[in-house]
Amino acid sequence: MNGALFRHTWRSQRTRLAIVSTGLAVWGFFLPVVYGKFGSQFRAVIESGLFPEEFARFGGGDIFSLPGSLALSLIHPIAIILTSVFSVGYSTGAVAGERQRGTLEVALARPISRRGFYLTLLAAAFGFVTVTVASLLAGGIAGSWFAGVIGELAVRNVPLLWLNSVLLFGSFAAIGLAASVSFDRLAPALGVTIGLMVTMYFFDVLGSLWPDAARLQPYSLFHYMQPKAILLGDGSLLDLTVLAAVIVAAMVWALVVFPRRDVAAPS
Amino acid sequence: MFALTTTGLTKEYGRRRLPSRLPFRGAAAAPVRALDSLDIAVREGEIFGFLGPNGAGKSTTIRLLLGFLHPTAGDGRVLGLDIATDSVAIRRRIGYLPGGIALYDSLTGERLLEYLAELSGRPPVRRAELCARLDLSPGTLKRLVRDYSRGMRQKIGIVQAFQHDPELAILDEPTEGLDPLMQRAFYGILDTLKAEGKTIFFSSHVLSEVERVCDRVAIIRRGRLVAIEEMAGLLARHKRNVTIYLQGPPPPLNDVPGVSSVELRDGRLTCRVEGDIRPFLAAIAGAAIADLTIEPTHLEEAFLELYQDGEP
Repeated sequence: MNGALFRHTWRSQRTRLAIVSTGLAVWGFFLPVVYGKFGSQFRAVIESGLFPEEFARFGGGDIFSLPGSLALSLIHPIAIILTSVFSVGYSTGAVAGERQRGTLEVALARPISRRGFYLTLLAAAFGFVTVTVASLLAGGIAGSWFAGVIGELAVRNVPLLWLNSVLLFGSFAAIGLAASVSFDRLAPALGVTIGLMVTMYFFDVLGSLWPDAARLQPYSLFHYMQPKAILLGDGSLLDLTVLAAVIVAAMVWALVVFPRRDVAAPS
Repeated sequence: MFALTTTGLTKEYGRRRLPSRLPFRGAAAAPVRALDSLDIAVREGEIFGFLGPNGAGKSTTIRLLLGFLHPTAGDGRVLGLDIATDSVAIRRRIGYLPGGIALYDSLTGERLLEYLAELSGRPPVRRAELCARLDLSPGTLKRLVRDYSRGMRQKIGIVQAFQHDPELAILDEPTEGLDPLMQRAFYGILDTLKAEGKTIFFSSHVLSEVERVCDRVAIIRRGRLVAIEEMAGLLARHKRNVTIYLQGPPPPLNDVPGVSSVELRDGRLTCRVEGDIRPFLAAIAGAAIADLTIEPTHLEEAFLELYQDGEP
C-alpha cells in the first residue's frame, strides 16, 4: 500500500464518487417509497393474472414487500450501471488507462513496487464500492422511513446485505483491475469486464424469469447475492465465500501477472 | 566507480512461450530484437549522451534500466543495484524524465509536483531553485496542467525529475518543446548538477546539445552499440573541413597522411583532415596563405559517418 497514491486516487475520484453516491441514494430512496405508496395495488395487478407471476420476481426483487423493493433497488440495471462506474469503469482504467495515457510511466518511475501499486488501487476500488453500496442502502432505509414502512425492515440484517453487496461489486472491481493489469490498452480490459458482467447479469435475470434457464444462475456472480433472503434473515455463508474466492483468485492473477509484464510505451 | 552499467543487455519483443506442437505456433511473428548485447558503463559524475535514431533502442534501454521492461538476456546495474531485482531501490535514488512526458491534466502544476514528490518519498529540496531557473512562477504552478503549453509541460517534467535531488538522472529528450532561452537555462541546471557530482544519462536526437553538454557518448544502431567514447576523442577522430585562400601555388597535400578530398578552385583550396593535424600544418607551412579556416568536427558529422559506415 502506498499512502500518497491512495490519497491521490481518492482525491481524483471524489467528485465522481459524490455524484454516483448521491444518484444511488436517490435511487435507493425511490423504491421503498413506491412500495409504500403503490405496493398493494401492484400486488393486486399481478394476482389478477394479467401478467405472468415471474414478472414479479425480477432478479429476486419485487415491489410487493419492503425486502423485495430493497432487493430490487440493488439488482436493478440502474443500480448496476451506477455502481459499475467504479466496479468496472474505475477498476479497468486504473492501470490500462494510465498506461495508455502515459501517466503510468511517471508514477512507476517512483519507488513503488508493481504489487504495491496494484494493491493500493484495489484498496481504493473497494473503498469506492463500499461507499456507493452504503449510499444505496442508506437511501433505502431513508425511503422506508419516509414511506412509513421502516417497521417492516429487520435493520440487523442490513450490515450483512451491505457486506454481500460489497463482495459482489468488489468481485467485479477485482476482475476489472486484473484485466486492467493484463492489457496494454483500456478497450480490451473494459470489454472483457463489461462482457463478463453483462453475461452474468443476463444469466441471473433470465434464470429468475424462466425456470428452465435457472441452471445458468450458478455461473453468475449475481446469483451469490440474494438481498431479499438476507433481509428476511436467510443469508447464505456460501454466497459470501464464493464471492470472496473470486476476489482472491482475481488478486492472485493480478499479483502474478502484473510484475511479470512489460510496461508498454504509451500510445 | 560506475553509476550505471549494462552487460550483454538484450531485449526481444514478441517472444512467444507457446509449445512448438501447437498448430498456430508457426504463424507467430518472429521476435524482434530491439536491443542486442548492449555493454555500456557510465561513470559517476559524468554526463553521458546516448544517441541513435528512432527505433535504435534508446527508449528500450531506458525502460530496461527502470524496470518497466524485463531483459531477455544480460544484466544491468544502476548505482550498484541490479535492475532485475532491485528496481524499487533504484527508483528511490534516481530521477527520470520520459520522452514526451504525459502528466495528470486534472491537477495543478503545484499539486502534481507535490504528488510526485510524495510518491518519491523524498522531500523536494530542489523544487524552488528549479522553478526559479525555468521561469515557473507560483501563478503558473497554480494553473491546471491541461492548460499548459508543451514547453510548460516539459519544464514541469524537468522539475519532477530533479526536485528530490537524485544521485542519477535519466533524461529522454529533455529539451523537447523548450524554447532556446529555456534550453539554455536547462543546460545551466545540468552544469550545476555536474559540478555537484551528479550523474546524468542523457538520450537525445539533438546532436548539437549532446555535443555541448556530454562528456562521453554512446551511439547505438538497430539495438547494437556502434561507438562509445569521450566526446573530444570522438570528434578528434573524425574529419575536419579545411578551407585555404591562397595567394600563390597550392601546397602539395595529396600524399599528406590524414588529408583527403583536396579540391582547388579559383585560389580556394578545400580538403578534409582526419586525426593528427601536425603533418597537414607542416605541409602548408611554406605556402602563401591569405586566410585559413579549420572547422571543428561536429557530432552530427561523426554520427552520420558512423551510421553510414555500417549501413548494409
